[in-house]
Amino acid sequence: MQPRDDGWGDQRDKKLPLEPTRAPWARDGPNHLDVRPTNLSASSQMDAGSSAPSAAISHHHRERGYMTGQPVNLAVAAEASLPAPVAPAATGGDSFRAPEKRIHNQVELDRFLRSATAKEFVGFIGALNDAVNGRSSTEECSMSEPILALVDVLKKMREWVDEIPPQQQSLRYGNPAYRTWFARVAESAEELIRSVLPPNLQSAAVELGPYLVDSLGNSTRIDYGTGHETTFCALLCCLAKLGVLTKPDLQAVVTRVFLQYIELMRKVQLTYWLEPAGSHGVWGLDDYQFLPFLWGSAQLIDHPYIRPASIHSREVLETCSEDYMYLACVRFVKQVKKGPLAETSPMLNDISGVPTWSKVNSGMMKMYQVEVLSKVPIMQHFLFGSLLNFS
Amino acid sequence: MPATARPENPYASLDAQIEQLKKCQPLPESDVKALCDKARDILINESNVQPVKCPVTVCGDIHGQFQDLLELFRIGGNSPETNYLFMGDYVDRGYHSVETVSLLVALKVRYRERITILRGNHESRQITQVYGFYDECLRKYGNANVWKLFTDLFDYLPLTALIENQVFCLHGGLSPTLDTLDHIRALDRVQEVPHEGPMCDLLWSDPDDRCGWGISPRGAGYTFGQDISEQFNHNNGLGLIARAHQLVMDGYNWTHEQNAVTVFSAPNYCYRCGNMAAIMEVDEQMNKSFLQFEPAPRRGEPEVTRRTPDYFL
Repeated sequence: MQPRDDGWGDQRDKKLPLEPTRAPWARDGPNHLDVRPTNLSASSQMDAGSSAPSAAISHHHRERGYMTGQPVNLAVAAEASLPAPVAPAATGGDSFRAPEKRIHNQVELDRFLRSATAKEFVGFIGALNDAVNGRSSTEECSMSEPILALVDVLKKMREWVDEIPPQQQSLRYGNPAYRTWFARVAESAEELIRSVLPPNLQSAAVELGPYLVDSLGNSTRIDYGTGHETTFCALLCCLAKLGVLTKPDLQAVVTRVFLQYIELMRKVQLTYWLEPAGSHGVWGLDDYQFLPFLWGSAQLIDHPYIRPASIHSREVLETCSEDYMYLACVRFVKQVKKGPLAETSPMLNDISGVPTWSKVNSGMMKMYQVEVLSKVPIMQHFLFGSLLNFS
Repeated sequence: MPATARPENPYASLDAQIEQLKKCQPLPESDVKALCDKARDILINESNVQPVKCPVTVCGDIHGQFQDLLELFRIGGNSPETNYLFMGDYVDRGYHSVETVSLLVALKVRYRERITILRGNHESRQITQVYGFYDECLRKYGNANVWKLFTDLFDYLPLTALIENQVFCLHGGLSPTLDTLDHIRALDRVQEVPHEGPMCDLLWSDPDDRCGWGISPRGAGYTFGQDISEQFNHNNGLGLIARAHQLVMDGYNWTHEQNAVTVFSAPNYCYRCGNMAAIMEVDEQMNKSFLQFEPAPRRGEPEVTRRTPDYFL
């Protein structure tokens, strides 16, 4: 059997997408599955590669249930703070490089979770969380040049969606026009990023461009999930490390930039029918997003009358979603999923029974760390470079 | 007992369980255990390439969409009046995986000659811990015992079926290590679905527009082109490969110039995808026809007790 020659090389170089049902043991990199000749015997197949033998997984049992009654601890304990800026010398010249994937297995993921980079990343997420505590999405906030530029970049990508309509006929779920849109963004990514960077940091575009591209989903499988969202947050973290985004920007990073990003991705999801990457179906928090639930719950802390249970009030969702990301997320779920919320989203229904938003918020932080940052299938796509380095 | 009385139905308790399940009420753990024990004794005697007679109705992924499974039976006819062949993926993602898989297993035990249930890639310990069935069992039973009972049973499900030596049915697709049906018959299937190798490929592979074998973007199994399907059908004297595993907007999708067909039986997948579902009827003359259906109308809110996930304690 001759292996076909079209497109294989690219496929191997591209990231392994987070598809609806992806194999949790799937790996990236040059050692990934290779085509096997048909005459290779079954037994030698089973021995090929280094993934866990089936016997080892047959008694595998998840240690952490989600309803065991046992409280969960943070996987990465980190003070909420902006990342330490990189040394000025490092930003001067050619220290920037295209980022790459470094996590291929649980051992490497564990090493990452113990690293200064993980602390820095989680600290950054915490700082953004603090910055929107009690603050609505529509509240006035300071708009620096980089914030305005980021919003413009996201708006431009939205316009491109309008310019690239979905193809009329599609037998599978994802619409192939997404690939056209994605290719246009990928082509322009460095240029888009340069518009955000000050003159002395233009060379960082080579490192930041891939973060932008990877935050928009996967063009091979036409899907999108929380891993891509995490990559967008990593882009923001890199900009903070460069000193492009500073403390006064943090509120706007969430309520202007991130909100614009979420709106872009919703438009992309709906226009091109992106499959939910690695979705747990009804059993996950959401098919596509996580962070707007985290930061959105922070916005509602100590709200005078909106409680976690208020998500069941249509009136609250109708009138307050523009102000609070969490409510906008629930409203969106109710728009796209047909059926009672208790059945289509039992997790959201459960969380509506938590007494306070501050409890919801601290729970979201733990859940994000466990369900996203601690998952090999997601984090194997995380990009490391000179700014977020794999130490 | 009067002489005119009918003999007691030996299946009375099983029939009662099936009636209970059809109301979407899960069985107690002890009943699930007894059911799985009986089902294992049946499945262990089935072949990796389980022979099936026509007429039969072939179904694709269900994924815990229980109300839609009942709709499927309304459209296609009740079991056992209609013979059924299900090609796997009963669990995960939907809200009613427990009720769905319990009902299908109960029907298998009750009418073993009338219904065939194959293994999908989701009938696996590892996948169900990621994609929802495990969580659902914890929620509905308070512990993982029922998850354990079912996933232990899944090891015995046949991998493929063969309708009248003509239509080859399986969940995913072909494997570069399996040229003939005899190769498949020779596999030792009673195990967790391996991460790679022939058994894994049968449950994970997808047909592709390009020729030859390709790396699957799923990270397991392969993609296979029309040339591969043609050759496999030719080598094995087959007319068609019927498979499931992929969401298709019309519920079914011919591919590889009618050498293969995808059947997907979960309408409006995950409550949001807007797709039709379909089943494929194969009649006595081996003619194939497709019945499409939409999501079943729901009757009111399900009875749900809110529980607090550990993160929010």
